[in-house]
Amino acid sequence: MELFLQLFVSGILLGGVYALAALGLNLIFGVAKVVNFAHGEFLMLGMYAGFWLMTLTGVNPYFGAPLIALVFFGLGMLFYLGIMRFTIYKPELTQVFATLGLSIALQNLALVLFSADYRTIQTMPDGYSSLGIGPLHVATDRVIAFGFAMVIFAGVILFLRRTYTGRAIEAISQDLMAARLMGIDSQKIFTITFGLGIAITGLAGGVLVPSFYAFPSIGSFFVLIAFVVVVLGGLGSVTGTIVGGLVLGVIESVFGYFSPDLKEATHFVLLILLLAIRPQGLLGVRGAEKETLK
Amino acid sequence: MSRLLAYIALRPSDALWAVAIGLVAFVLPFAITNGYYINLFILVCLYAGMASAWNILGGMAGQFSLGHTAFFGTGAYTSTLLYVYGGVSPWLGLVAGGLLSMLFAVIIALPAFRMRGVFFAMATLAFGETIRIVLIFSRKFVDMPYGVAINWEPGFARMIFSDASSYALLASSFMVLVTLVAFVISRSYVGAYLRAIRDSEEAAVASGVPMRRYKMLALLVSAFFTSAGGTLLAQYVLYIEPTTVFNIGFSVDLPLMTLLGGVGTVAGPLLGAAIALPLRDILLELFGSAAAGMHLVVYGVVLIVIVIVLPEGLIGGVQKLARAVRRPRGERARAGEASASAEQGGDGDA
Repeated sequence: MELFLQLFVSGILLGGVYALAALGLNLIFGVAKVVNFAHGEFLMLGMYAGFWLMTLTGVNPYFGAPLIALVFFGLGMLFYLGIMRFTIYKPELTQVFATLGLSIALQNLALVLFSADYRTIQTMPDGYSSLGIGPLHVATDRVIAFGFAMVIFAGVILFLRRTYTGRAIEAISQDLMAARLMGIDSQKIFTITFGLGIAITGLAGGVLVPSFYAFPSIGSFFVLIAFVVVVLGGLGSVTGTIVGGLVLGVIESVFGYFSPDLKEATHFVLLILLLAIRPQGLLGVRGAEKETLK
Repeated sequence: MSRLLAYIALRPSDALWAVAIGLVAFVLPFAITNGYYINLFILVCLYAGMASAWNILGGMAGQFSLGHTAFFGTGAYTSTLLYVYGGVSPWLGLVAGGLLSMLFAVIIALPAFRMRGVFFAMATLAFGETIRIVLIFSRKFVDMPYGVAINWEPGFARMIFSDASSYALLASSFMVLVTLVAFVISRSYVGAYLRAIRDSEEAAVASGVPMRRYKMLALLVSAFFTSAGGTLLAQYVLYIEPTTVFNIGFSVDLPLMTLLGGVGTVAGPLLGAAIALPLRDILLELFGSAAAGMHLVVYGVVLIVIVIVLPEGLIGGVQKLARAVRRPRGERARAGEASASAEQGGDGDA
């Protein structure tokens, strides 16, 4: 019983982290209908941002997170204005390859700049790396990352529901044509959404680097997880992303305990089963998987 | 087949294409003597054939697969294991691998054909990855070494040759065969069905196209030839391992080459393979010395630029250019417009 409780708690913590890593992907997908295959690479760059911040200036990435988010907000806007703007109303193949090209470029840029070494940082002083809650033990870094995830999710949901820009983003995600007819500047909203999505992704990377190794190809690991989380929770659904992340985290934690070698395969089998049984995801809109994107 | 052939309307330009491809495929293997270039030629032909196979499903039928590495790897593994451990000729292994790949194709089609666009892409990608992970996992039980090497014993029955030109001829024959199949499909009613499915599934079904049957046909043909390419490449390289033959990079390469040349066209994948592989080599030579990975940074950027500037690939770009040149000539402009739209209506035939 205690074992299962431990696995469950670890799974929930892991799941929160996965959800945070996937949120930016789902936000951009929901609004611009673009599946960003370079998502994992932005996460990887966020991890390096956290790593270098701590290594060069000694600032803990937990405190530097707002700065990382700000820088990545700019990167995200640049990503839209410099590349995606030219592909947005073209066939989806164009978007897939624009983002795949960027993913190849960024991954190898990281290799050129930072080498293939595995890097991580220690943010907690010795003796504080794990927390004991009753009989359970959890890594402090995971708890903090989980806290970040919850705060970001609350912030994003509030932003989308309560602000004018947020509601414009929601409107575009529901019906691009109608939103444009109502006078919403879609280019501006797309730019902000890419900025926001990449900012969250960069921040996620920054708070993940204490618990995951950073290396140039780590992005391809996370991008597949992000796909699973997004499909599991429902495309374009922010709350669905949290649910999807938590479910995946618990499944991986429990399954991984019994069969560590097949841990990775659980992601993909889950993805295929899900797409087959309930392609719209747990909280997604029915029929979304059949929508031709543009 | 005869019913199929009756529908093929040959055009005068087809003869030109046939002569050009024939010259490349059956003269170059003997004309090239330089070891580097013949190796490049073999790889280009093998990839062109497999990209062409991808194109039948991904381009003509619009089912954007990112999981073709599963078929490629299955072909490479089946023939290699049968040969190394059972002494079975790779020619038979090629067929066995192809059949196994078609079985996998049927399995993946059950869930994947319910999806479209990027969802189909994600499902196929996950499928390819699952096969790789399961294969790496199952090695523990069968005492298989990490990679499997094939002994170099030349012989036609063993599909191993002592001279590069024989490999080159085999590779180019493979390319010609797949291209021929793609050509016949493209020009027959099957191609028209596939394009109808690609453009609008609802409209295709409403017009009486048996959608699932023809999607499945495209997938099976595509899977079989990709798998055959896997066998041929394994017999050429004489070494396989799960991380290279079940690599996501391969799944991306095939659509990429197709996109470069022109999606849905018969010549597109050939042109794309003939550009992409040498381009990577050239970039490696130019930037490889700067730092490891530098050439791929440039490659990625080149890709982005190509996608933005030439979204319809080289063939689409050339057609567009030809139309733009024809247009300004006053009275003939309207005629040009008409033939341009006729070209567009028959796209996939270039």
